[in-house]
Amino acid sequence: MPNDSRLAGKEHMFRILKKSLKTGAVTGQYPAAAPIAEVSTSEAKDKARPFRSSLAFRAVDTGSCNACEMEMNALANPVYDIERFGVHIAASPRHADALVVTGPVTVNMERALKDVYKHTPDPKIVIALGDCAMNCGIFKGSYAVTGPVERHIPVDVRIPGCPPRPSEILQVLSELRDERRRSGG
Amino acid sequence: MAETGSCDEELKAAFPSIVQDGAVQGKFSHFLVPKDLVPAITHYLHTQPSLHGRLTLLWAIDDRPVRDAYGLHYLFTLETSHRWVMLSTELAGDDRLFPSITPHIHAAKWYEREIRDMFGLIPQGHPDLRRLIRHEHWPKGTHPLKKDFPWDSVLGRRQGEHPFRRVEGEGVFEVPVGPIHAGIIESGHFRFSVAGEPIMQLELHHFWKHRGVEKLFEQQELTAAVPLAERVSGDTTVGHSLSYCQAVESLLHLELPRRARYLRTLFLELERLHNHLGDVGAICNDTAYALPHAHCGRMKEQIMQLNDRLTGSRFLRGVNRVGGVAVDLTAVQLAEIADELDRIEKDFSELESIIVSNASLTDRLETTGVLTERTAWDHGVVGVVGRASGLDQDLRRDRPFAAYDELQVRVVTYRYGDVRARMRVRMDEIHESIRLVRELRQKIPQGPIAVEPSGRAQAGEWALSAVEGWRGEIVYMVMAGENGKIHRCKARDPSFMNWPAIQWAVPGNIIPDFPLINKSFNLSYAGNDL
Repeated sequence: MPNDSRLAGKEHMFRILKKSLKTGAVTGQYPAAAPIAEVSTSEAKDKARPFRSSLAFRAVDTGSCNACEMEMNALANPVYDIERFGVHIAASPRHADALVVTGPVTVNMERALKDVYKHTPDPKIVIALGDCAMNCGIFKGSYAVTGPVERHIPVDVRIPGCPPRPSEILQVLSELRDERRRSGG
Repeated sequence: MAETGSCDEELKAAFPSIVQDGAVQGKFSHFLVPKDLVPAITHYLHTQPSLHGRLTLLWAIDDRPVRDAYGLHYLFTLETSHRWVMLSTELAGDDRLFPSITPHIHAAKWYEREIRDMFGLIPQGHPDLRRLIRHEHWPKGTHPLKKDFPWDSVLGRRQGEHPFRRVEGEGVFEVPVGPIHAGIIESGHFRFSVAGEPIMQLELHHFWKHRGVEKLFEQQELTAAVPLAERVSGDTTVGHSLSYCQAVESLLHLELPRRARYLRTLFLELERLHNHLGDVGAICNDTAYALPHAHCGRMKEQIMQLNDRLTGSRFLRGVNRVGGVAVDLTAVQLAEIADELDRIEKDFSELESIIVSNASLTDRLETTGVLTERTAWDHGVVGVVGRASGLDQDLRRDRPFAAYDELQVRVVTYRYGDVRARMRVRMDEIHESIRLVRELRQKIPQGPIAVEPSGRAQAGEWALSAVEGWRGEIVYMVMAGENGKIHRCKARDPSFMNWPAIQWAVPGNIIPDFPLINKSFNLSYAGNDL
């Protein structure tokens, strides 16, 4: 019945609006990250200069346990909302400014990593996210692991942690891009 | 239905040449069988209505240093009684062939290929002898789990391409997706054969993330390998570490204090909660309905921050240890958990009513990606995916572990096996988990949270353990070596069972529905690949 569906549609919208108003803005509601140990090098900051207002990154998983991916996904949730800093995900390496690499580079992913690096146009930066990408973490030495990432491609920024918290990732990224605005929270 | 031991008698009557090993202990029976009889016995276990056996684990051990043979072991869960029945056989001397059980028990298909890749033992009669874990560029003769293969070998490379099953025909395209995907997701490959939009065939090609976990376990001591277990599948930190710890505690004959078991249960339920919340949102997101994704992401974040406040880790790392837990919770913290979950329950219920009353969303989810109960049973599917297809299996009720023997868990099943069913199972389990945490808080006893792991396990002793993680059944087999080290550890994430099933859920659907179906399964690539 047209009348009923119009009513149902309105009620549905009311529920959604009511919930959104009740929830309010949650951006920034996270504990501040501890100060970072290593600041980015000036070379890295120079390379990241073109991307201060807009950074499209491609996520490359070379064999992580998936915790780093979950924290990266958390960056896109309403609480961390990385898009407010002009950072977004690229669906193809061709559209990417940065490669965010996780994992210790397994034997099976080695070629894919090298290929994606080759196919990402310059200028680009490479961010090694997590302990596995930096030093193979707990998988170091395994026959199946060829990492860390810098054995295969040049790495500009390193974010340690197993996994690093989203707030810690944000902190490194904003320090890299000389973020003047407060990240809020 | 079967009393303790009566299924043993039935089996021995049907197959007189098998030998029962050890006394009947609890819900576990072990038989030694001649290699050639394995297909017949496993077929019997699987198809007898009074037994209804489900292949739970299949693994090999390189015993050549000790007795010049490879051991092959099959673990079945008899779903009528929830007993475990294990069959052991061996390949002595130079024997490298064993009869495949895959033609009758499809759940064995990847296990047997894994054994071939890792040990070089050939399953005769297996319909698909392509390489599984070792991609085609690994050198021939590389079998990493053999005892004479060094864990830190540096592998050479050879040329090779994986041969996919082709669908020939006018207008049929082959669409490769992965291993690197568009979003922030793990690496894995999907090969579609499509005619226009409808998918005719999906073939998986995984194991890109194989890190050599089982070999790495063999370099560790029994009591020290928990961090490795935590990182097998990072979003299932508690599930894997719990299953591993239980196996080792069984080996060392440790009796855990009640409070430790309660805390473990609580942490496992917190893990179930945050993952299910994320999944519900992600399923909606894959239909471009971003609003629930935002709300669920927010609620999931609340639980992860709660985890961080309670234990110092958003993923609850460092919480399980052999002998109990490493983190205690004060009454104030327990109250904090209860308050947070009360808020989330109300929050989620409001979101739920928004989600289920959305007609266009329901249209996308209903009848999409149907996995029939028959296919799910034939392939040994477990966990959320199994329950959404009508399989009434949940270890928390069927083979209680931790503190579940003192709790009544309501098991959620749906019949249709579509994306909507898989989302509904998760939604109902969210409510059930919140209810369980409330009950745990009421009943949690005072006392110590761990026992010191004293004592040694004899080399060659082994133990099995299974836990209902948030995706499903996580099984560990741990065998002790010399000096408290691990001789063999077989870890099996529920994803290893469920991944192949997606190949049957997808055909007939259109390509844009594939991300939705994949997300509704939400299987672990890392847990699968090891």
